[in-house]
Amino acid sequence: MIALVTLHFLAAAVAPGLTRWLDRRAFLVLALVPLASFVWLLGPVGAATADGRVTRVDLTWIPGLGLDLELAITPLSGVMALVVTGVGALVLAYCAWYFRAGDPEIWRFSAVLVGFAGSMLGLVLADNLYVLYVFWELTTVLSYLLIGHNPERRANRRAAMNALLVTTFGGLAMLVGFVVLGREAGTARLTEIVADPPTGAATTVAVLLILVGAISKSALVPFHFWLPGAMAAPTPVSAYLHAAAMVKAGVYLVALLAPAFAATPGWRPVLVGLGLVTMVIGGLRALRQHDIKLLLAYGTVSQLGFLVAVIGAGTRSALLAGLALVCSHALFKATLFLVVGVVDRATGTRDLRELTGLARRMPVLAVAAVLAAASMAGVPPLLGFTAKEAALAAFEDLGTDAGIGAWGDLALVGLVLGSVLTVAYTARFVWGAFGTRDVPEPSVERPAAGFLAPPVVLAVAGLAAGFAGGPLTDRLSTYADALPEGAHEPVLTLWHGFTLALALSVLCLVGGLALWLARRPVAVAQAAFVERLHVPDAERSYQAVVRGVDRLSVEVTGRTQRGSLPAYLAVVLVVLVVVPGTALVMAWRPVSLRGPDNVLQLAVAALIVVGAVMTVRSRRRLRAVLLLGVTGYGTALLFVAHGAPDLALTQVLVETFMLVTFVLVMRRLPPFFSDRPFTTTRLLRIGLGVLAGLTVSGIALVTAGARTAQPIGQLFEKPAYEYGGGKNIVNVTLVDIRAWDTLGELSVLVVAATGVASLIFLLTDRATSHRSARLARRPGANPGATLPAAATLPDTRRSTVFEVVTRLVFHSLIVFSIYLMLAGHNDPGGGFAGGLVAGLALMVRYLAGGRRELDAAAPIDAGTVLGLGLAVAALAGLLPTLLGGGVLQSAIIDVEVPVLGTLHLVTSVFFDIGVYLVVVGLALDVLRSLGGGIDKHREQDEGSSTREEAIA
Amino acid sequence: MNQLVLVPVILPLLGAGLCLVLGRSARAQRVVSIAVLAVVVVTAAVLLVRADRYGPQSVHVGGWPADIGISLVADRLAALMLLVSTIVTLCVLLYSFGQGIVEFGRDTPLSVFHPTYLVLSAGVSNAFLSADLFNLFVGFEVLLASSYVLITLGGTEARIRAGTIYIVVSLVSSVIFLLAIACVYAATGTVDLASLAERIQDLPPDVARVLQLLLLVTFCIKAAVFPLSAWLPDSYPTAPAPVTAVFAGLLTKVGIYAIIRTQTLLFPDSDLRTLLLWAAILTMVIGILGAVAQSDVKRVLSFTLVSHIGFMLLGIALATPLGLTGAIFYIAHHITVQTVLFLVAGLIEHRSGTTNLDRLGGLARAAPVLSVMFFVPAMNLAGIPPFSGFLGKLALAQAGVQAGDWLALLAVAASIVTSLLTLYAVAKVWNRAFWQPIDTDAQGETIEPASEALGALHGSTRVAPATGLQAVAEEQRLPMRMALPTLALVLVSVGLTVLAGPLFGYTERAADELVQRTPYITAVLGGEG
Amino acid sequence: MSVNLLLVVVVGVLVGCGVTLVLERSLTRILVGFVLIGNGVNVLFLISSGPAGAPPLIGRSDEPMSDPLPQAMALTAIVITLGVTAFGLALAYRSWQLFGHDDVQDDLEDDLVRRRADLDVTSSTYDEADTDVPDEEGADEPDDESEPASAEEERP
Repeated sequence: MIALVTLHFLAAAVAPGLTRWLDRRAFLVLALVPLASFVWLLGPVGAATADGRVTRVDLTWIPGLGLDLELAITPLSGVMALVVTGVGALVLAYCAWYFRAGDPEIWRFSAVLVGFAGSMLGLVLADNLYVLYVFWELTTVLSYLLIGHNPERRANRRAAMNALLVTTFGGLAMLVGFVVLGREAGTARLTEIVADPPTGAATTVAVLLILVGAISKSALVPFHFWLPGAMAAPTPVSAYLHAAAMVKAGVYLVALLAPAFAATPGWRPVLVGLGLVTMVIGGLRALRQHDIKLLLAYGTVSQLGFLVAVIGAGTRSALLAGLALVCSHALFKATLFLVVGVVDRATGTRDLRELTGLARRMPVLAVAAVLAAASMAGVPPLLGFTAKEAALAAFEDLGTDAGIGAWGDLALVGLVLGSVLTVAYTARFVWGAFGTRDVPEPSVERPAAGFLAPPVVLAVAGLAAGFAGGPLTDRLSTYADALPEGAHEPVLTLWHGFTLALALSVLCLVGGLALWLARRPVAVAQAAFVERLHVPDAERSYQAVVRGVDRLSVEVTGRTQRGSLPAYLAVVLVVLVVVPGTALVMAWRPVSLRGPDNVLQLAVAALIVVGAVMTVRSRRRLRAVLLLGVTGYGTALLFVAHGAPDLALTQVLVETFMLVTFVLVMRRLPPFFSDRPFTTTRLLRIGLGVLAGLTVSGIALVTAGARTAQPIGQLFEKPAYEYGGGKNIVNVTLVDIRAWDTLGELSVLVVAATGVASLIFLLTDRATSHRSARLARRPGANPGATLPAAATLPDTRRSTVFEVVTRLVFHSLIVFSIYLMLAGHNDPGGGFAGGLVAGLALMVRYLAGGRRELDAAAPIDAGTVLGLGLAVAALAGLLPTLLGGGVLQSAIIDVEVPVLGTLHLVTSVFFDIGVYLVVVGLALDVLRSLGGGIDKHREQDEGSSTREEAIA
Repeated sequence: MNQLVLVPVILPLLGAGLCLVLGRSARAQRVVSIAVLAVVVVTAAVLLVRADRYGPQSVHVGGWPADIGISLVADRLAALMLLVSTIVTLCVLLYSFGQGIVEFGRDTPLSVFHPTYLVLSAGVSNAFLSADLFNLFVGFEVLLASSYVLITLGGTEARIRAGTIYIVVSLVSSVIFLLAIACVYAATGTVDLASLAERIQDLPPDVARVLQLLLLVTFCIKAAVFPLSAWLPDSYPTAPAPVTAVFAGLLTKVGIYAIIRTQTLLFPDSDLRTLLLWAAILTMVIGILGAVAQSDVKRVLSFTLVSHIGFMLLGIALATPLGLTGAIFYIAHHITVQTVLFLVAGLIEHRSGTTNLDRLGGLARAAPVLSVMFFVPAMNLAGIPPFSGFLGKLALAQAGVQAGDWLALLAVAASIVTSLLTLYAVAKVWNRAFWQPIDTDAQGETIEPASEALGALHGSTRVAPATGLQAVAEEQRLPMRMALPTLALVLVSVGLTVLAGPLFGYTERAADELVQRTPYITAVLGGEG
Repeated sequence: MSVNLLLVVVVGVLVGCGVTLVLERSLTRILVGFVLIGNGVNVLFLISSGPAGAPPLIGRSDEPMSDPLPQAMALTAIVITLGVTAFGLALAYRSWQLFGHDDVQDDLEDDLVRRRADLDVTSSTYDEADTDVPDEEGADEPDDESEPASAEEERP
């Protein structure tokens, strides 16, 4: 079985190639796939229907979800499978003539249609809730594509969208139902669930949810409107999906569950009620159509209502009748659609006001059509008749069999009413398509024999089945055997004797014909009726819902998605204040407090507080930054007071570096922050700030107060010396214990630096900028100057003193930085401090001599330095693995260095070198970009402005 | 052997260094990047197998004792995240060659793209592997810093505007994270996750809850959980397609991963279920409504991204084995499919010069291959069976029904509504961009960050066609170098369905490991380095 | 563990001021605020490291040392802050180059949606229901002749 389904999908995969090669004849090849399936299925289905022997195939897929490929051929699914494959084969063959030669779209179409056939087969064979759902949704999506076959028309696109949304909505409801049902039943296997159905409130809910899926798929009221729209699809699709196959999925699901759940509260009211209502409404709408395809579409809606009502009744006899009806409907409705297709192709119209004389011009087609129509109307001796008789008989006993009393008779009345309408629109169809009226005859091109074959075959099958009532009864009834006997034993036969059912059948035919003969007054009456009491139009209300959702989305998004950064930050901070804040209040507890550890702390703290507040108040950029510096240096002092020299040192250097960077950028920005008046928003800002501050300090108090365990930091001392080989624990931590952090930190610096450069030098090639330094240093560029390249500065910006000082300071600074780096392992310092000092040295050089001077000082591309640093650090980490250690594991070496004495060298120093390089690279890069780069921009701007003046 | 765990981080960093050193030669950079990432993918695969066979793979960096030094751990969850993310990263890198971003990169001072991209992948891997809270922070900073650079690549107006929002929000989130870490250390005196798992139990529960919420807020910003999600749709769409793709695929998932890790490991008996469930519901619904309202493919995708974060959060909130299984499975699915869709959006942009739905049209006939490459992952995203999106959703639905309380059921309902609206949103895109013939009188109000970005991408050399019309008219084939990686990822995402059986079993075991906690803790504290 | 109230106050003030600034629109101001908060958090690390003590340099003094681990972490944080701040400044400069100021802009697409919300209209991609019937053949009312012209105008 799995092979059969797979075969379909393989065929779908090759279909495009096939169509390229054979054009439309490819359909004939593709038709072989369902045909083969049909033949193969005959055996097992015969067995299943003969004595209920079920053929299974299992293939575990996702046991964790109960989602395993379990397929089974039961009496029901087997019959459905035969219908699906049989009709499928014929329709595919029909396509070979329906499409015009060289149609550019059929490569897609053929693939989708065959794929659909496969999904449909899988759907009916599935014996697992979730597998069923999988194929169910596949059919939905594929039909979306088929309905959108010609997407040029807006209406088609919308029809496809409607079908997709409506059926998927139902499908999702059904999925939830499946999940609940599977949980209640403790298995996802359908045969087991049906054999031993769970009960209870949850089950009821589940079943009703599942029914939503079935109803939406089978286009029952109130979801019926999508089906006529689906007629945008090519006619073969209408014949297959929207008559024989997909819309039957809902009916199939009902038939599948009916034996087990027909007694579930709500089941019969929903299905029988909605079914009959749909049957009537569909019939009425069908009577108003002029396009014979649309007429059939509404006829299908009506028929689906009929089927669901009968099967939904769920008594033994009703189920037999229902199954028979399903078969007959598949046969005649497919025939009729195919006939419409032929007519459409032959005459170029489907409007029954323009069609005439076709009975004479296409007799074969006419006969087939009439046979099928007769079956639809329930005229003996066709299958439609026997089935409908059985249905009427079943509804006679419904009250007693299902124990719903008078409701059963009411249902019967509805059934008859619906049938009358059926007969009427059948007559309308036949007369409309093949009658003669006094309009110019449309030109008719003779259809090929192959084009006619499929409808003829189907029609004849309907006829033959009509006479085969006996065997059919035996075969089909096995599906309902499990159910208790009804008042009468159901049989499919042409002659029951003079029964109520027969009388009703006659009534239907007579009434229907009468209705058709009186069609003009009826039409008028109907129009007036619709005019008078405004029946809520399902489609319009659906559109209203969709529109409502769209409007809602716009409103909600408009509110939540402000697009303004302050708003977003405010939200974040409010959440921070509210959520952990609340928890903080709940966790509040007395904390043992202590005053300042020493006087220095107190003084510094005061300084910081003042600085911070003034920073907020300052409207001048420079002032703000300088005050920021105050708080920064203050923090450094706090570190000192706390006993954290390394931290303090780094903080001071970083703060300095940052100040310079700020200033470098701000020389171009306007001196004042963009001015905004003192508004409520400003009050809000301040309020939020206060709250955030309180929250944070509160959290700090509570968490720090809750500490009982000993901090692991206290354990560092011994290992740091013995294993890490350094006396400066912090530095050992940085380059060894937590070197992994440092590595990451380096990459942050590298990336940030590259980013800075990329933002300043967007498309200009700046990697060469340091080369200009060589030019600057050419002998005789400006002999005797203290800083050679400084000559490139305008004299206004030169200061000899500064240059001399720089000259003296620069190299000593560099040496000092290197010392810091090496000494760092045992004394305050380390790669960061060293690198920052070197960076400051460069900074001084730049401030004194401008960017060319900087290039002279460091004639190398910053990127190289950065990359080198990162690579060195990474390699230093990887090196030990070569020595058999782990990554970043350090070994200790003592070397004699003439100047510095014994250097207690640890391999982690190499790592520290990497750090040093990266920091230098960062400094160089920032100076080049925010320093030199911005200079260059300014010069360009000034240059251009002067030029403009010159022109003016 | 366990040193292998370090490779996914240290190797890309080394590669980045090299890329910078041999700055000017784009070819050399490509070779380095591809080689590095390929090796990393292989490593990740090996780690996955080992983690599944022999339990969590842990290493103590530098051989320091676990509680003192930093440990990295690849348990089943981390290994899976690592593998999926690295595969995605590699594919996107290949795609970026075709995109022309590298050509653009060469003109910039230090050709920025490759080193930054490598550092980004290193940061992501580090975040997945780290077993140390502060090191997790560093990992975040690494990937964030590189994302800052990538999102402002080229410095066009749109990108500066969007980038600023992204960067500032991230800065704030980082500083909150740092604050949380300081408080954690203040309360427990350690930052090693395994030790924390034990020490937090000794804290008074309400204090522990404060810490938990601090961490949650941080990670929820990164994962874009409503109401902390608004920054994402504004910032992602403007970046170059590959950048957006990899961001959408990975960055938010890192946040989700961090939530899973901390919640399951540090706060196993959490009482925040209700809060998280509500967050999940709102994220799903409000996110998808946003998607419905948009008129640009990339923005639609960004909002679906936000919305589907809710699915994962739902699983996490339920915190049952099945729920976590679903969440993990969904992450794996979502990383691939969301990335693919953004890559396809890039292809659309490349072909039509815009991703604005009011200007696109007729692609189904004009570009059949492209339309297939969009349709399959789009349906996957919408949770159409049998694709992986459906499987993850099914698991979550089952978990919700299993939980059975009204809030869980409400969440399931919300997830159902969300997937219906997701289908609506992508079907809208399909109807507009692929089916509808091009509408020339497109509304004047539509602005066009997309083509501006494109212009920047291709420098001055290529002028982006103004409307899809011309693109469709001129017979312009898909650049193979962009299409093939995309196709590869499409296949990967379909592969998730084919291999769903074993994969789901794996995620079940991963979730099981999370619920037990002990394997992870022993791997760090008890296990040998 | 006893907590140093003074430091707690400092943290609160720094964070509070920082937050107030971060909520501003000028990017440089935001950055200043960010650095302020950063300093606050660094002080927070001091709090978390317990009582003050001797510098963690082995063999310098016999008093108890201060906890080195928070110092290391703070140091890392400081340096990272430096890196991203530098980048942020570059960003501010760039936006000054582009827009003539460093104020953070609002997102335009969001503005479009909000305008639609204020006008009470649907999203631009919503297909209003109209009257024409679905059919296998035919197309929308196409105005092909006008297309090339408008395409000309569209080109940047």
